[in-house]
Amino acid sequence: MDFIILITLIAIGYFAGTWAEKRHYRSIEQREKTYLHLPAITVKHVDVDDAKVQQVKLVYGSAVISIDYFKRILAGLRNIFGGTVKSYETLIDRARREALLRMKEMASGSAMIVNVRIETSTIGKKAHRKSVGCLEAIAYGTAIFIEK
Amino acid sequence: MKYTARLPETNVNVTPTSPLRDFFLLLSAAIGIIVGIYLLLGLAVDFIVPRLSPEIEQKIGGVFLNSMAASDTSPEKTKTVQMLVDRLQEQSTELPYKLTVHLYDSPVVNAVALPGGNIIVFSGLLEKMESENELAFVLAHETGHYANKDHLRGLGRALVFLLISATLFGPDSGIGNLLVQSLNVTEMGFSRSQESHADEFALEVLNRCYGHVGGATDFFKKLNAEKKTGRLKHYFSTHPENLKRIAHLKNYSRSKGFTEKSLLKLSPTLTEKEQTEKK
Repeated sequence: MDFIILITLIAIGYFAGTWAEKRHYRSIEQREKTYLHLPAITVKHVDVDDAKVQQVKLVYGSAVISIDYFKRILAGLRNIFGGTVKSYETLIDRARREALLRMKEMASGSAMIVNVRIETSTIGKKAHRKSVGCLEAIAYGTAIFIEK
Repeated sequence: MKYTARLPETNVNVTPTSPLRDFFLLLSAAIGIIVGIYLLLGLAVDFIVPRLSPEIEQKIGGVFLNSMAASDTSPEKTKTVQMLVDRLQEQSTELPYKLTVHLYDSPVVNAVALPGGNIIVFSGLLEKMESENELAFVLAHETGHYANKDHLRGLGRALVFLLISATLFGPDSGIGNLLVQSLNVTEMGFSRSQESHADEFALEVLNRCYGHVGGATDFFKKLNAEKKTGRLKHYFSTHPENLKRIAHLKNYSRSKGFTEKSLLKLSPTLTEKEQTEKK
């Protein structure tokens, strides 16, 4: 009985997880194109005419992505043998890109975002030993609004 | 510096991979290792059994006794059975330890040979006994398991874990108790050849002790008669083919020239107590 539940959970995790991931990537790619005109860069200083600067604002965006059961089992197996945990790579990638996009959304209307940083943390891993871990990525930076 | 709006062509952070292929590859590797360990443990049992010292065996036996909390409810009965076992042991081959009888209150009609010379006799078995010879045969049969070290082989792969837990953590560790509980002592299985060897051993001991082998087959006959009632189904699952065993016992005693004479009555302590219990 336990075995059936396990198999079901893995199957659900695989199909639901793959579906959600594909959908998320489609949305990410589409929105990345929309915000392509807005540069988000890591440098602190840019050559901008001070007189033209209208407003400077802190902008941030965060995204929490949960792993699915299939990925967890796969990573667990990977834990035994070692090596790159490929199943977690897409999670981190999605979380960071989503956070960047949300930051850009918050900065809409600005000319650029400077001093962009991305941080990552886990959520809900210690609350319950068996709980599925979540990943949070937060991206923040300074949006500069320039007179046109 | 000019900013050019451009999307990266490839995603370097995500390895293009098939997660399902990965999953089955890793899973089969893990299963392979587990199966390998399982097979190795099987070999380890055959390796360990002849080399186990009596002291370590005592320790393993201690794990069992601790977790079963042998309820010697009627010391008189235990003493009587113990005396019988002592007499049988004198007549049988040398064992590196003294056999100790533990009476266990349970309707199960069985006796079990535990490591370290601890024989567990279930009260259900005593109730079924009609003569001393009959009881002696069952006890000698268990002694035969000790002589052939079947009691250790019967534990199977659990023996390896018990050995580790008993030597590392002593007899009353939680791990040992857990192991024993997962074993279910009453269902320890022996192979057919192990059983018939123990039977032959018991016949020889019985003959040496009483001068004849009367009563040896009584127990199995009784089991056969009660087969239909279903009460002893359990015994049948671990001790199959009783008719064949009776036939084998008869053949063996004929070939050895053993005779059958009148049976000794069961010691009054065993029967009396039983009657008072029934009241």
